[in-house]
This record gives sequence, structure tokens and C-alpha cells, in this order.
Amino acid sequence: MSATPRTASAPSLPRILGPIRPRPRWTETRLLAIVALALVVGSLSLGLTLAHRFVPYDPGGLAIYLAALGGAHVAMVLAGRRSDQILLPAVGLLGGISLLLMQRLPQDLVTLDVGGSTIGLGDIQLAWLCLAIAVATTLGIVVRSDTWLRRYKYTWAAVGIALLLLTFVLGVDVGGQRLTLRIGPVSGQPSELLKVILVVFLAGYLSENRPLLIEQDTRLGPLRLPPLPYLAPMVAMWAIALGIVVVQRDLGAALLFFAVFLALLYAATGRLSLVLIGLVLFVLGSALMASLFDHVRARIDIWIDPFADPLGTGYQIVQSLHAFARGGLLGVGLGAGLPMVGGRLPIPEIHTDFPLAALGEELGLVGVIAILGLYLVVVERGLRIGASAADDFRSILATGLALVIGVQAVIIAAGDLKVLPLTGVTLPFISYGGSSLLANAVVVGLLLALSDKGVEPPPPPTTSGWRSRLRPSRLRRRSP
Amino acid sequence: MLATSSRRRPLGRTILHVALVLSMAFGVLAAAGGYWSVIEAPDLVRSPYDPAVIAAARTVPRGKILDRAGLVLARNAKDANGEFYRVYRGPAISQVVGYASQSYGRAGLERAYDAELTGLAGDALTGAFRKFGASQYDPGDLVLSLDYGLQRDAVRALGTRRGAIVMLDPTTGEVRALASTPTYDASTVTDPATAQKAFAALQDDKDQPLLPRATLGRYVPGSVFKIVTAIAGLGSGAVTPSTTYQEQPAAEKRGLLVKGFRVHDGHHPQTGSTPLDLVSATEVSCNIWYALTGLRTGGADLVAYAGRLGFGAPLPFDLPTAVSQVTGGTGKAPGGFVDDVELANASYGQGETFVTPLQMALVAATVANDGALMRPRLVTAVRSKAGTREIGPERVRQVIPADEANAITDAMVAAVEGQLGRQFTTGSKVPGVTTAGKSGTAELGGTGEPHSWFIGFAPAEAPRIAIAVLVEQAGRGGEVAAPIAGQLMAQYLAANP
Repeated sequence: MSATPRTASAPSLPRILGPIRPRPRWTETRLLAIVALALVVGSLSLGLTLAHRFVPYDPGGLAIYLAALGGAHVAMVLAGRRSDQILLPAVGLLGGISLLLMQRLPQDLVTLDVGGSTIGLGDIQLAWLCLAIAVATTLGIVVRSDTWLRRYKYTWAAVGIALLLLTFVLGVDVGGQRLTLRIGPVSGQPSELLKVILVVFLAGYLSENRPLLIEQDTRLGPLRLPPLPYLAPMVAMWAIALGIVVVQRDLGAALLFFAVFLALLYAATGRLSLVLIGLVLFVLGSALMASLFDHVRARIDIWIDPFADPLGTGYQIVQSLHAFARGGLLGVGLGAGLPMVGGRLPIPEIHTDFPLAALGEELGLVGVIAILGLYLVVVERGLRIGASAADDFRSILATGLALVIGVQAVIIAAGDLKVLPLTGVTLPFISYGGSSLLANAVVVGLLLALSDKGVEPPPPPTTSGWRSRLRPSRLRRRSP
Repeated sequence: MLATSSRRRPLGRTILHVALVLSMAFGVLAAAGGYWSVIEAPDLVRSPYDPAVIAAARTVPRGKILDRAGLVLARNAKDANGEFYRVYRGPAISQVVGYASQSYGRAGLERAYDAELTGLAGDALTGAFRKFGASQYDPGDLVLSLDYGLQRDAVRALGTRRGAIVMLDPTTGEVRALASTPTYDASTVTDPATAQKAFAALQDDKDQPLLPRATLGRYVPGSVFKIVTAIAGLGSGAVTPSTTYQEQPAAEKRGLLVKGFRVHDGHHPQTGSTPLDLVSATEVSCNIWYALTGLRTGGADLVAYAGRLGFGAPLPFDLPTAVSQVTGGTGKAPGGFVDDVELANASYGQGETFVTPLQMALVAATVANDGALMRPRLVTAVRSKAGTREIGPERVRQVIPADEANAITDAMVAAVEGQLGRQFTTGSKVPGVTTAGKSGTAELGGTGEPHSWFIGFAPAEAPRIAIAVLVEQAGRGGEVAAPIAGQLMAQYLAANP
């Protein structure tokens, strides 16, 4: 069982940098070569369509990106860790698609003044992508111990709640949503980081209390539930999600947090009753929000029939569906889509909320399914790492990290395709934006680190969490 | 103790469950992608809200529109800014072809076939490979079944009167003329120099020149509706061609008492006390015979057979059509009639019955085509670089058996060529050709002149053209509509031997 500590070849003392013993990663090498080939072909196609010349569209940018990916690969080889070899190529391809898309969109969608010169959308995204690769690689190489995550879970929770409160109070309203936190020159969307912190906390909480959540019963009619005090976190989580909806008007983040929470609760306990209660709470909460807040009700109305007002409230989603329709089976080709009328893009938020619609038009249904498949690959690697992890904490952590990416992709893709109401979350690794890319890079970095079985073994499982110490009598009563 | 309990297992199993649920979610997304990209795509890419359609309208030349002989009805010209605008052959076709204006949107075929004309149409498969071609636009030319000369003569025949004429080939459903008056010059709406003033004037005109009366006008039919009653009566088996009513001759003088209401007629004293059958009742347009036939058929079957002819729903046509109705449908009696009085009046076209001229042309065409209704068509082919898509004849349904249709043909021939019949349908006979037809004088109540109607076809033994003529408030059907029909059918048959 997972309880047996393994020694293997791990160093006996936790240290940040292990000894450097290079280890080839041929699978990753081959996959990255395919990724590079695919991106070069994509760039050539873009050049042919937009510049009418058979050269890559923005060779410099693509070269920098491929060099960053190659550098990450070399660093991982040199570090010699036995971590997952599929994650980096899969995520690298998603990031590359993002780069091609951002290069191809009008560059003045986002501009930044750096030392007198102005750089546009594609270059900014390239910088964030490179930074994200660096962050993921560094975490994947350097992190050998999980103590700093495991031990301080309540500290992490406090940090998360502090971030949330800070956004509530100091957040800047952008487009009716209070998502952006600006402190001096630095601005970002804390909810992106918050999702990682949430998973770390939940992994700590659920792994510590897993025995209690599984073993003990409170009967509530036909339902068998864990002891009611242990349901408090669920109610708290629900309240936080509602708070995010009310104060930040961020339906997407609330949905993401709550869905990941429920999935982890199920993964840790195997109790469907908890999920059912959670779903009931979700429905109640949604109904409450819809009856109290116009912006929630408006979202739902738009979702039910966007064609009722195709030029007004339903505009974005209708345009998104039109983009998918124009793409058809094979797409119109990279660079050939997104018809401009009067110099304007059909969808203003194409680079943040609707990149999938743009890709659906230019790469077609085939491209959309391929991209969804790439997310499934990332999720599958994450869940596999979780299922084969050495102990509960790592299992739940890896599962949760995989889920934040998978569920977030589902939420925004479902919004773009009118499967769910549209909620403004980013499409991981593809949407424009530094907060999103960096947070997801942290996720990938942690997954890479967790996938290495040769690292320091987890501490022996403990039955002496503070909660069980507080209630020894209850535990004893149930033991035969 | 806890660690070894049977209920606490490693997480692999529950993680697998989570993975399966998430995979299903991705499956749903892929299916949704397929729904919008493939199944809904043909409709979405034709939508006027699609920016590709909007953008193409400004920069890509539209396809031409041609009549059946290849005469260009709509072409492109360039304005001072180098943007395209449409030029049309003449006012005669404006109600059919419509307009495609940068400022005032689209109408007519320009609207219905906007995607094909701009070149964005295509099913998922042909559209899928378009990206390998040089341009993503492949404007298509529309080839119409319309005969421009006939169309222009039909508009001229109506002259300054308000009305509509529909002519079609009953065996193929190809529409040869679809005239509505008053008409207008669509080129003035598309020419940037005149558009604003011209469009405002057209909208203010109380004669509603922008209304295509042939397809969207709804009129009281009067006696031309008797053909529908005959179809329902014979089709349902309620009557035969030899059915007579003993009470009918007497009712000509005193009126037919239906639930205390008297249906009056008495306009054909020549038939005396002889009970009439289908042919003789149609020849003299006997309201009493048709009222009794309608009552014997019953409201349910009358509405059902009218439905088989196209009533009760928009017609399967290339242009939008108004819905023709036998009754308002709010009553409790079978078929939605209020009572037998309404049914009796509807049976000769004077109840709550409203029809479009196109619908009445289809009634004539169905009788002409041995009881089979063909889908009416204007567009016979879409020609583009990708190839030509032919749109062939399409049988909607067999409304009644051929022998019953032929019995009605005999009755309609009597109405045009019979000793008594020709008095009601003066001028509708095509010289030298057996002609079938039925006139109608639709009383509107009050003091206004009735609508003048004629429907018919020729030659009766092997019909090549079917026609419906409506002239608003012009007087008796036999005096106004019938001669127009005879003249246009004769002209068509002479030009298309």
C-alpha cells in the first residue's frame, strides 16, 4: 500500500538541487520534434495566406519559442530527473498554437510600451510563453520535496483568501468584472493563481482527513454522510464560490473552483452522496444567484437563445458559433478566417475568451477536436501521475492540478460552443494573458515534479492530524 | 487500524471515475463542435449576421441572375469608390429578383440566395476543401426558369391596375412568370446615387409597390376556389362527377337554407329545373351545387385536401410565401369552421378563405398534371466554378388520382368552351387550343368592386402552361382576368410550341 515508505535512489536529505546526472528523454525529444514540425508548417501556412510568400509568417518569434522549448528539454535532460515526457510536448504544442494565433490577430489588440518602442500582441504573448516555459521547467527540475506545500496548507489557504479579499477590495473593474488586481505597475488576475492554491489546500485537507471522511457516517434520511463538521469545508467552499460570483461577477472562476472541489472530494472519499449534495447546493446557489442578480440572469438568457438578439446581448456567442460554422470540417486555413468588417474583428474578445472559435474557423472541426484531444492528453498525464503517486497528498494534488486545466478548458470551450453559459475564463495555454499562462505553468511544473518517482519519499502517513487528535474518543468508539 | 480498513482504498479507482466523467465532457464538446461546424453550418454561413457575408457583399462581385434563355437579369457595376452595386434589367422582375443594396439589405431572390450569390454556400464537404482553392469566395450565377419576355408582358397586361399573374409549367413546377403590380425599378434602390430618395418614396407609396402580391398577397378567392372544393369532394369520395342534388334547382330561386341562413345564387336561369352535375355546375359556376358538395364533403376533408394542395403552411418555394387558408380555423366544427354556414360559403370561396395567387396557380397546375402537385421552382441551376448544381423537378405529392383530376379538367374545359360557360370566361380561350379554366368574382362586402380572378391551363389534353390571374377590385372575373389569361397563355404556347 501507499503507506510503505520507499527509499529507492532518493537522497536521504531534502535538498533543492540534486546531483546532476544527465538522463536522455528520447520520447520527449521525438515528440518535441513533431511539435516543432507542426508549428513550422502552421507558420508557413500563415505566411502563405497573409503575406502570400512561402516563408514562415514571423520566423523570429517562432524561432525564439522553439528555442525556449528546446532549452527546456535540454535542461530536463541535464537535470536527469525521471519525470513525465509527454506533458512538455503536449503543452508546448498548445502554447505554439497560441503563438501562431496571437501573431495572426491584429497586433494592436494589446500593446505595451517598452523603453520607447511599442510591442504588440504576438510579441507580448511570446514573452509570457517563454517565461511560462521557464517557470514550468524550473519547478519541474527544482522541486524535489513537497513538504513546503504539505505542511503549510492553512498558510496557503490564508494566502489564497487574502488574495481574494484583496481583489474584492482593491480590484479594478474591467468590463463589468472585478478580476484584475493592480498593485503599482504589476497587474494580474489573482483567480488564476488562486486555483493552484486551492488545489494545494484541498490536497492537504482531504489527504489528512480522508480516513474520517470515509469511515464515519451520519445518517440523514436515506443518505449516509460523513460527520457533519467535516462538511463545513464544503459549505465554506460554496460560500466562497458565491462570494466570487457576487463581488467579482466571475461566474467562470466560481464554477471552476466548485467543480474541482467536488471532483477532488469524490476522488478522495469515493462518496457519491457528497457529490450529490454538492450538485444540489450548486443548483440552489445558481437559482439564488439568477433570482438576485441581473448579470447572472442575463448570462443564462443569452445562453438559452443568443439568436434572440444577435446584434446586442447575444452578439459574441452568435459570432462565435458563426466562426465555427465558417470553419466547417477542415477550416478555412490559418490566417484566412475572421472576416473584418469596417476594420473590426467579428469578436472583440477573440484573444482571451474566444480563441477556440478563431481556431475552430481556421482549423475546422478537425482542429477543434485535435485541440480538445491535446487537453485530454494533458489531463490524462496528470491523472495518471495522481493515480500512481506514492501517497494520498500527492495523488490528490496531481489530480487537482490536472483538473484545474481540464475543467477550465471544458468551461470556456463549452461557453464558446453554447453548451454552457459563457463565463469569462481563459483557455489554458492558448488564451492571451500572463496571469493565466504563469499559473498554468506552475501547474505543469508541479505535475512534472510529482511525476518523478525517484524523489524524496513522502513522510509516513499520519493519523495524528489535529482534527483526529481533538476527537480520539469518537474514533476509538468505532474501532472494534 | 484505519489505514487497513476495507473501505479505504488507494485513489486509483475514484480518479478513473473522474477521468471518465471529464472524458465524457470532452466528448460532449466535440459533438457540439460537430453540431455547429457541420450540421448547423449551412444555415449559419448564409445568415445576414455573418460578417463573412457582410464583408463579401462589399468586396466580392455577386453572381449574375439569368432567365431561362440566358438573358442577364442582374449584373454588377462599380461605383465611384470601387465598390460593387447591382444593376437590373428592368422593373418587370423587381418583385421576383428583388434587390441587394448596401444600405437597405436584401429582398427577393437576392435575399433567398444571398449565400450562393456571394459564393459562401456549400455543404460541409465541398466547403471543407475550399481552403485549398485560391479564393474562398466562389460566387454562383442563378439560372431561373423565368421567361423574361413573358414576365414583362404579364406586367404590361396588368398595366396600372394592382394585381398578380403566376404562370408555370404544370409538369415540372418551373415558374415562367411571377408578376406583381405595381412594381418598381430595383436599380434605383441599389444605385448609390439614387438609393436614399428612391427607397423612401417606395416605402411611403400607399399602393405598396415593394409587396410581391403574387407570393405574399392574400385575397378572397371567390369562385376559383370551387376547384379546391371539387378536388376535396372527389378525392374524399363524398361526390362523383355525376352527383346531382334534387333540391338544387329550386334553391336557385329561393336560396339554399343552411341553418337558417340562405345561400343565394340565381345567376344562371338558363339551367332551369335540371339538377346539375360536376361539369354543368362548374360550367355555370353554380354556388348551390358547390355549397352542397362542401357540406357533403365536410369541413375536415375540405381543409385536409386543401392542405394537400399547399394550404395551411408556407409553400415550398424559392421565395417566402404567405399562408393560404380555407377558414380562420377558430371554430369548433370539423376543420375549424364556425358552423355549416361558414363551410357552405367557403365551398364557393366566400367564407373566411384567403389565398395567394401562387397557391391558386398550383391548384390549376395540380389538376393539369393529373392530380400531382409539383414543387414550384424559380431557380433551376446554380452555376459556379465548383460546378453547376441543377435543381430538378420535385413531386410534392399525388393530391388526387389522375381520373378524378381529369374529371375536373372536363369541368374546367366546359367553363371555358361550353355554350353557357364561355359567357362567364370571355376571352380566356386560346384560339385553336382546348383550354381549361375557372373564373372568379370575389365579393368583398361593402360597396367596393370585387377582385377579378381566373385560373386555368392549356392545352387541356396535354397541359404545358398553368396560370392564375388576379386583378384587385377590377370587377367580374370573366371580364378582366379571363382575357388577360387567354392572351398570355396563347402567347406562351405560340412561343414554345
